[in-house]
Amino acid sequence: MIEAFRVGAVFRNGTLWDGLDLAFDDGEVCVVTGPPASGKTLLLRILRGERRPDAGDVVVGGVSLYRGNPDAGKAFRASSGVVPESFPPTACRTVRDLFRLSAVAGAGISAKERKEREEELLLLVGLPGSQESELFSLSVSERARVALAVELFRTPRFLFTDMLLLNAGGEWTDMLGGLFRALAREGKTIILAERTIPERWKARGGGEGIAKGPFRLFRLPVATEALR
Amino acid sequence: MTPVSLCWVDWKLSVKAMLRESAVRFFLLLLLAAYFTAMLLSGGMNRFLSGQWAVTAILRVSVSAEEGQGIAGKAAGLPGVRSAAYKDPETSWKEFLAAYPGLEALRTAGGNPLPGYVEIRMLPDRFTETDIRSMETALRLLPQVESLLSGGEVLSRLLRVKRWVNGLFWAGFGLLCAVFFLVLFLQEKTRASILSVDFGFLEERGIPAARIAFSRALGAALTGELLSLAAAGATVSWFFLLEKRLALIGRVIGPAEDILALPFLLPLGLFLLAAPLLHGGASLLGWRAAHAVRK
Repeated sequence: MIEAFRVGAVFRNGTLWDGLDLAFDDGEVCVVTGPPASGKTLLLRILRGERRPDAGDVVVGGVSLYRGNPDAGKAFRASSGVVPESFPPTACRTVRDLFRLSAVAGAGISAKERKEREEELLLLVGLPGSQESELFSLSVSERARVALAVELFRTPRFLFTDMLLLNAGGEWTDMLGGLFRALAREGKTIILAERTIPERWKARGGGEGIAKGPFRLFRLPVATEALR
Repeated sequence: MTPVSLCWVDWKLSVKAMLRESAVRFFLLLLLAAYFTAMLLSGGMNRFLSGQWAVTAILRVSVSAEEGQGIAGKAAGLPGVRSAAYKDPETSWKEFLAAYPGLEALRTAGGNPLPGYVEIRMLPDRFTETDIRSMETALRLLPQVESLLSGGEVLSRLLRVKRWVNGLFWAGFGLLCAVFFLVLFLQEKTRASILSVDFGFLEERGIPAARIAFSRALGAALTGELLSLAAAGATVSWFFLLEKRLALIGRVIGPAEDILALPFLLPLGLFLLAAPLLHGGASLLGWRAAHAVRK
């Protein structure tokens, strides 16, 4: 479980938000929405233990990411995946290179296993056989889906995505919703940062969400029965 | 996370650049290994000068050939002496005539006017003023020795020049090592900068920066060890092959089989130990410099 207590952030000498309390349970799909420049990316970074909040603390499984042993933060990041809003230019030129890098970050993934899982995950995100594709030649949607496949490759316990739904495009919303719910049923925690929540997700039980500072927090129903 | 996979992360991410850089490193290591081996075998100017320069012990006219051989044997047993050869009066005369033709008339009056002598050559690493003087002191005690010709002041000057030239040679080696390290550092810094986003990717996923840096340094050290082994092996083989074709190599640098002797194997072992240390050190410094730029 990820809990944020009275978290505050200052950005460019201005307080973005303060006193934010958030909790994300195991096996949950949560969407944090907020207007542009409200600090969604910053919130994800704070929740992941990458950036110390200017106030408050983040606790994962009862252990503080910022006030305790620094190894706790590293272990948490090792067990989580992150799909960034934009893909920075890397030395990796092809999709396969990116999987290779992810394999380095993942513990002991053999070359054979890597190739099999690469194929499966790319098929899942609608990009079968794109291993040799150059990253810069992919569309924004394709890049976002490749980034997701690369993170899922390491089977992270926690998954953070930044503007994934927007970047992937409307036609992928249902598929991604189904995928995240399936992952949540396996006990994984999925946290999405988006500008808005898709209407279909709202209708399927997301409701109007809870106001949290400049954000709204939506918890999606995960159980199969709840969707019927 | 297996540390082994992180050691080779650069090879996984930019294999072409690594191959290119390794080729440059191998060439430089080959140069260093050849220079170092040549310096070890020759001692700089030592082998050449000790081969050219001989101390001559002129014997009294009354000394017989047997006695001359005995004195040569004693001289050969002195510390620092490589060889001592007795030349009888007849050989001495022939050498004199070869050097100064037309003086045959000198012999007509009363036979061969020249005495026999012993030609003494020092070991390359003992071709020093101290060793030559101590050898001379030992020979002067022999009543059969008339006089000793070792060059006097000229020898002192020559030995001084030899020290300077040897110093220059070793300084050249040091400079080459410094250039090699600079090349390693620049290669490592450039690559660490190019791959910084990828390392950032790993750091974001819980791999500590220090672990990445040390694993890369270990990988660089292992690559350096393999490259230096290959370079040293190629150099030694090259010396053996070249010595057979060019006799000059053996005279100026030394016999290639000497490399297999313990006094030469130890410094070569040090060379093989230093190469991975330089590679690992350059990797860490390059990482640090690239990170400083990133910050």
